[in-house]
Amino acid sequence: MRYDVTQVTVYDWGAAVPFADCAFRLIPIERRGQRVHASELSVDPAASTMVDGLDYWGNHVTRVGFRRSHRRLTIRATATVTVAPPPRLDPDPSPAHEVIRDLAQRSRSTAPDDPVHFTFPSRWVPLTPAVTDWAAASFPPGRTIAAGALDLTRRIRADFAYDPAATDVATPLARAFQARRGVCQDFAHVMIAGLRGLGLPAAYVSGYLRTVPPPGQKKLAGADAMHAWVEVWCGPDLGWIGFDPTNGIVAGDDHIVVGHGRDYTDVSPVTGIILTAGSQGLAVAVDVIEVEGDAPSSAGAREMSCPAPAHT
Amino acid sequence: MPSTQLELAMRWKGEIDADLAPFLVGYRPVPGVHDELVDATGRVRPHWAAMLGRLARFGRPEIDRRFAEADRRLAESGVVYRVYGDDTDRPWPLAHLPIVVDAPDWAVLAEGVLQRARLFEAILDDLMGEARLVGDGVLPAALVAGNPEFLRPLAGIRPKGGAHLHVYAADVSRAPDGRWWVLADRTQAPSGAGYAIENRIAVSRALPELFDALGVERQGPFFQAMRSGLAAASGREDPRVALLTPGPWNETHFEHAYLARVLGFQLVEGSDLAASPEGVAVRTVAGLGRVDVIVRRIDADWADPLELDPSSRLGVPGLVEAVRNGRVVMANSLGSGLVEAPALAGYLPGIAHRLTGETLILPNVATWWCGEAAARESVAANLDRLMLSPAFGRSLHGILDSTGILGTRLSGAERTRISTLLERRGVDFVGREPLRLSTAPVWEKGRLVPRPFAIRVFAARTPEGWTVMPGGLARISEREDVRSLSMQRGGRSADVWVLGPRSVSKPETRLVPEPEAVEIRRDAGILPARMADNLFWFGRYLERAEITLRLLRGLAGHGDDGVAETSRDIARRIGRLLVAWGAVAPEATGEEIAAEATRGTSPGSVATLIGAAHRTGAVVRDRLSPDCWRALVDLRDRLATRPGEDRRPRSVDGEIEAVLRALAAVVGLAHETMNRREGWRFFDLGRRIERGIGLARVARAFATVGAEPEMLDLLLDLADGRVTHRSRYITGPARRPVLDLVLLDEGHPRAVAFQVARIAEHLARLTGRSEGDLLEPAERLAHRLAASLETSDAGVFDAARIETIEMELMGISDRVTAHWFGRSLPLADDEAEE
Repeated sequence: MRYDVTQVTVYDWGAAVPFADCAFRLIPIERRGQRVHASELSVDPAASTMVDGLDYWGNHVTRVGFRRSHRRLTIRATATVTVAPPPRLDPDPSPAHEVIRDLAQRSRSTAPDDPVHFTFPSRWVPLTPAVTDWAAASFPPGRTIAAGALDLTRRIRADFAYDPAATDVATPLARAFQARRGVCQDFAHVMIAGLRGLGLPAAYVSGYLRTVPPPGQKKLAGADAMHAWVEVWCGPDLGWIGFDPTNGIVAGDDHIVVGHGRDYTDVSPVTGIILTAGSQGLAVAVDVIEVEGDAPSSAGAREMSCPAPAHT
Repeated sequence: MPSTQLELAMRWKGEIDADLAPFLVGYRPVPGVHDELVDATGRVRPHWAAMLGRLARFGRPEIDRRFAEADRRLAESGVVYRVYGDDTDRPWPLAHLPIVVDAPDWAVLAEGVLQRARLFEAILDDLMGEARLVGDGVLPAALVAGNPEFLRPLAGIRPKGGAHLHVYAADVSRAPDGRWWVLADRTQAPSGAGYAIENRIAVSRALPELFDALGVERQGPFFQAMRSGLAAASGREDPRVALLTPGPWNETHFEHAYLARVLGFQLVEGSDLAASPEGVAVRTVAGLGRVDVIVRRIDADWADPLELDPSSRLGVPGLVEAVRNGRVVMANSLGSGLVEAPALAGYLPGIAHRLTGETLILPNVATWWCGEAAARESVAANLDRLMLSPAFGRSLHGILDSTGILGTRLSGAERTRISTLLERRGVDFVGREPLRLSTAPVWEKGRLVPRPFAIRVFAARTPEGWTVMPGGLARISEREDVRSLSMQRGGRSADVWVLGPRSVSKPETRLVPEPEAVEIRRDAGILPARMADNLFWFGRYLERAEITLRLLRGLAGHGDDGVAETSRDIARRIGRLLVAWGAVAPEATGEEIAAEATRGTSPGSVATLIGAAHRTGAVVRDRLSPDCWRALVDLRDRLATRPGEDRRPRSVDGEIEAVLRALAAVVGLAHETMNRREGWRFFDLGRRIERGIGLARVARAFATVGAEPEMLDLLLDLADGRVTHRSRYITGPARRPVLDLVLLDEGHPRAVAFQVARIAEHLARLTGRSEGDLLEPAERLAHRLAASLETSDAGVFDAARIETIEMELMGISDRVTAHWFGRSLPLADDEAEE
């Protein structure tokens, strides 16, 4: 599947901001099953410094300094991306989860893609006995990693309410877990905490989900949104496999990866230091347009994605 | 050496018994534990006999006197520590008796510490680079990846100067057989060296005869060497070194300020620094100043909100990028805390062997990381004999606090839970042998008692390699049985005397250089903009509290029932002013007004203003004398309302007088003890501006056209002008002469014109303007105001005209803020291009 993705993010600072130092993670990465043919990032007002680079995880990060006073910041990111449909997942032949846990513990590599990085608590994913015990129900002894992860994915879809009003970008995981409600970011964090609590490697993925308008209606411009899901390491042969707890499915070629890391803070699309007295407003518009082959995948019709969280 | 020791012992044996015996009565070492004072046969060790014998000859009263003197000295020089989250300073608890270590014994310890410093440097170099220790299977990857101090944005970056570690410290104690062993390694930001200096000064001055006679090794050269090491790393002969502190609320802030002063480093907080890809600079009242070296006392993860913990308010945005570009030396490097993890301990012998081919001189407390199956099983099987602790030294949420728990303390249900946890996430745990600290004698009411202790030994990188500070910071537990020695939980600290080879007279290189050899310095460095800002507001808050109190004093006797209408009018006007200043709520009446305005919680109450003065004062604390600070803390406490306490003082009048006097003491001490340089000028500038505004406001309120003489009397009181007025005029007060005195008399210390003249002087000195230069905006305003006061007749000052004075003074304040304190903003384009 080939997509043209556009994300326009607008911050209204409410008052003049004399300077800002930001980092943007908005350009999709190249990875297994995903190619990026072209990409561009532009900002308004003009930046005084703009440096492209890769972070530890291999995500695109653009560090931008603004040194002129401004009241509004507009960031426009576009990319043309091809996503290959992943092979159909057969959970049965994947290794037992205990094997996965021991392999990760015994790792002899600190390379950034090694599962060992993804088995520990991280800034926004503390490990708590409550979440671990809850997740353990999906992993009876001997169950394969993929079967357990899929079960957990479906439990979140079934037991958690999608409720954008329940949480915001900074809501601690524990609260979303306790209330059993939240958005894609919360679901991903809860699932990751559960897996890591059991010693299993789980990564946070941020990106886009191609959405399909209801039958007979035209898709609205800017109606798509940023999305988050989870990747689980399923052994040296299968590698990392995407699970989308918001939709209770295995990630497919509707899922376009922008970046991955241990949790939201590793991939937050916009971070930065500004000084402002005003109250800020944020608007995000995302368009994911399919440019080749228009048969929507079967899962697409019911999927939902999340509004991009603001980061302050 | 053994023969010398023996000889010493023999020689002392006959002499000590008589003098020492009373102090030794009942000294019973803990069985199975090494004791510093007596050996296994109960004999006093010779080097202790040498020290104690001399001490005992002073006799008990003299010893007590000297120890009390040491305490007094410490209190006077303001040595304090605080417990995190509590803002009261506690006196430094000194155990007066030094711990003595003889030369051969120390040599082993020192060599072991040096070896570890070199080893940790090599480990950091490997793990932050190629990580061959992991690839070769010497160290499990999980010990790196799971370590919260493995800061990924720093991975692969070569530190400027080539080294990660510049300072290292080891907490050591002794095994039962007397060998030194290591309890913990400090590589992140080792603290305590400043307290060690203070202990040394206090004890060596209390016992100079012993200190000299025993040939105690000096510590001065260590700090000189450390400075040279930092200079070498920076590649500059005279590097600008900043000591980065989390701020005055940190429990060891006193030490940060003290070390900065002793070593000539500039004490900064994150907001004082500006980082760019080209380097790091400190914002001062004179613009941006270069920074070559940052001695870091904040945890690395807090150091840069842009690339590390985004919620940090203590760091410097962009610092990591500056580090990446090799523009600043970090001492120690961001990421150096990686090797502090308890889980690493068990791997150190293997790593040492692999990296250097050496055997560790100092063993660790035996430690097993439960990420390895064999170790996990062994820990589970031997839980009763072990302590279970977090692998990376940080508490495991809802499971285990950072110290850990003794296996014997676990209940049956907890054991079951622990075994599940070990199975799921063994990587998070270590099993360790429980601490068994050795003991040393402590002086307690004329007797010696054995108490568990540990010593923090410091090492520094120098251009010639690592060097160890002879001595260290000893921490001594209050109780006989301890698991923890943190000062946070009580306990005392002691100096550590390393005895030089006997009877060798040493050159007197002291820690703080010999008075005659000291390099004359008058400027304590360029004033950081944030300090100036806080000094300015320190002055303003104190002054605002004063005028509020004076006004409240004026209220006395005017608000009662049955007084004349004039008095009631005065009371109403005072009430309106207090409401306008936010000192009381508009609803307050009668007695409430004075009580509320003094101890209430309104934004303008005296208690709130003194609280604000205390807060700003804390920031500039190291520029205030200890007496001044204590007076300020006392004043704040005096105004604080304890829960359940009736806020209304029994006698409002007496209370106000007392608070006014206490406030005068604070201001007087600040004024008299602050060095009259830039810092003091900002403090006084704040006071003068606030006083000018306050005087203009009261003049506007009480010197209205047709004001009664009582009102003018009050105004004279507020401006301390009665005496002068009486000496000048035979008649009672009239509006014009009173206004002349309060507004225009440049010779009267509480006239507006007097304040304006001082303001103009301060500004002239602060701008450093040369003859013929244009005036800075603040200065221009001050000159204009001075001229207008000088050339006007008091008769022309109606309410509107007086209000103009207030506006102009506020305008001066705004411009001062913009000119000097506005630099707390990051570099703007025009500055960056300079």
